[in-house]
Amino acid sequence: MDASADQASDGAGANERLEIIQQITDSALAYMSLEEMLSELLDRVRGGLEADTAAVLLLDEDRDVLVARAARGLEEEVRQGVRVPVARGFAGRVAAQRRPVVIEDLSRAEVVNPILRQKGIRSLLGVPVQVEGRLIGVLHVGTLVHRAFDDDDIALLQLAADRAAIAIDRAQLTEQRAVTEIMQRTLLPDALPQVPGVRFSAKYLPAGSGVRIGGDWYDVLQLANGRLALVIGDVVGRGVLAASVMSEIRTAVRAYLVEGHELAVVMALLNDMLVSMERRCSATAAIVELDLERGELQAVSAGHLPGLLVGPDGAPALLECRGGPPLGVMTGIEYPIARFQFDAGSALLLYTDGLVERRGESIDEGLRRLAEAGRLAAAGEEASFADRVYRALVDETPLEDDVALLAIESLALGSSFQMTLDTRPAVLAGLRSVIGRWLINAGGHADEVFGMALATSEAAANAIEHAYGVHDGTFTVRCETDGAQARVVVRDSGRWRETHPHGRGRGLELMRSLVDEVDVQRGDGGTTVTLVRRLAGDAG
Amino acid sequence: MSALRIERVDGVCVARPREDIDAASARRVRDALAECLDEGGDSIVLDLSETRYVDSAGIDMLFRTSELLRERRARLELVIPRESNLARLAAIVALPTVVPVHESVELALAATRETSA
Repeated sequence: MDASADQASDGAGANERLEIIQQITDSALAYMSLEEMLSELLDRVRGGLEADTAAVLLLDEDRDVLVARAARGLEEEVRQGVRVPVARGFAGRVAAQRRPVVIEDLSRAEVVNPILRQKGIRSLLGVPVQVEGRLIGVLHVGTLVHRAFDDDDIALLQLAADRAAIAIDRAQLTEQRAVTEIMQRTLLPDALPQVPGVRFSAKYLPAGSGVRIGGDWYDVLQLANGRLALVIGDVVGRGVLAASVMSEIRTAVRAYLVEGHELAVVMALLNDMLVSMERRCSATAAIVELDLERGELQAVSAGHLPGLLVGPDGAPALLECRGGPPLGVMTGIEYPIARFQFDAGSALLLYTDGLVERRGESIDEGLRRLAEAGRLAAAGEEASFADRVYRALVDETPLEDDVALLAIESLALGSSFQMTLDTRPAVLAGLRSVIGRWLINAGGHADEVFGMALATSEAAANAIEHAYGVHDGTFTVRCETDGAQARVVVRDSGRWRETHPHGRGRGLELMRSLVDEVDVQRGDGGTTVTLVRRLAGDAG
Repeated sequence: MSALRIERVDGVCVARPREDIDAASARRVRDALAECLDEGGDSIVLDLSETRYVDSAGIDMLFRTSELLRERRARLELVIPRESNLARLAAIVALPTVVPVHESVELALAATRETSA
């Protein structure tokens, strides 16, 4: 090194400075992609300050670390994905103190990033990158020879940082918005299942201010035996990390439920899974399993707020259950199951805490307002239950947190109703469940209920077979009862198959033995099967 | 996922369906039963005491599976409690004339021991 290099910092005259400032503050930078903009900015800063290296580290709020995002003369820093904890090392100090930091002699300073030393950097100047007082990163330059960065250098680098901050923030928002959109689209169910005699509704309301995705999710599954599972949860934190943990939990819940585990086991497995992932992330969740035919509801909660249950009489109640702690805190937790009645005409709302939590208000007060909203919603008819409760709760307070709502209404099955079902075998279990609920409500005996449900299922299985080769076909099931007898008409638009390799012939025989009358009308337009079962009445 | 919850009692496979046996699930149940047999043992006890519905496709599958097991010198034993809806259904289609039906898992297991002794 010769002495002239040490003089470099003094070289820039007033005009040159102005030119450098113009370069750095070039508004064209704001219209580049984040990567392009950062690399262009670093070139200009390095040139302008006559430094050997220049680097930008951006703050990852979820993990509280600075991540090397772009560098000049220090490309390894980015390639190796250098991460510096806030408050540690050089860049960490700049971030923690939120003011410029100068290191004249690196050999005597604490450095987290070994690359700085390996590169032989001697002096460093770093400034915070902030938007509206919010730290988003650190910008630093370094020289291989000793240099005393002066106030002009500091002012120039800070100017560059301030100018870049707005563009970085805008680029990050755009980037995050894209990720958010994709994640939100894939993480929430496309459509809620269509189950006869049941209405599902859901809402997802992002908090007013940000575009940062929340960790709230909901899900609905049709289980074996026609049962339904409703899931709701909230991963602590926001951003892509919370969303990805949410997606892992959501997939695991599905897997454990489909495996046929009891709710208490599902929750314990989830908890152990989340702890084992070591994501420093916890989540609250509630799972509800419904057996609509028997009017039974089971609930399990991991630190989640109680669901709102409104009975057929319109009286609201909270699904208070002695739940376990949130998921992901410690292993080996047991989650007790609570059981409730869920008769036809009932409605259930699951939600995340943003719905009821208000600053300066106790959670009990929030739950009391929710119960009151439930009472008002029960009286309404229009729209869905989730909508009605949300409207009844509405206040002027902007949402401070994302809110997810998931509701199910078990529609009271009147004496007559009609359903249109897809020609898929998977609808059969749900269909038997609806016929079961309907006839139990109508006072049918166990054998009458069983006979009609199974005969209807047989007729429906025929309709489904008729539709062989037809995509997205449907068939209708019309149900009527006058108390003395029950009549079900299954109508499809296909041709009745006289014989079938898989013993469908037994189906007709079975229908005849299960109900009192079976009538099959075949025509070009389709097949109509009418089933009649006399009801003995006075069921008790 | 297997359509059956499976437990081994003294080398005998005791299987419980996770769902109704109908046109949607009969094939899954059949495959799970066949898998049970492949893993060894010469008898399967299919416990239907918690099963709500078995439709004609399910009944057909039970007849066929019983036949398949017989060909392999194995046996299918059913558990269907008396007085249940399924017991009436089994009687209608004369299931017990082909597939042995027992009141409880214990009795079904006892029957498998008798035949193998």
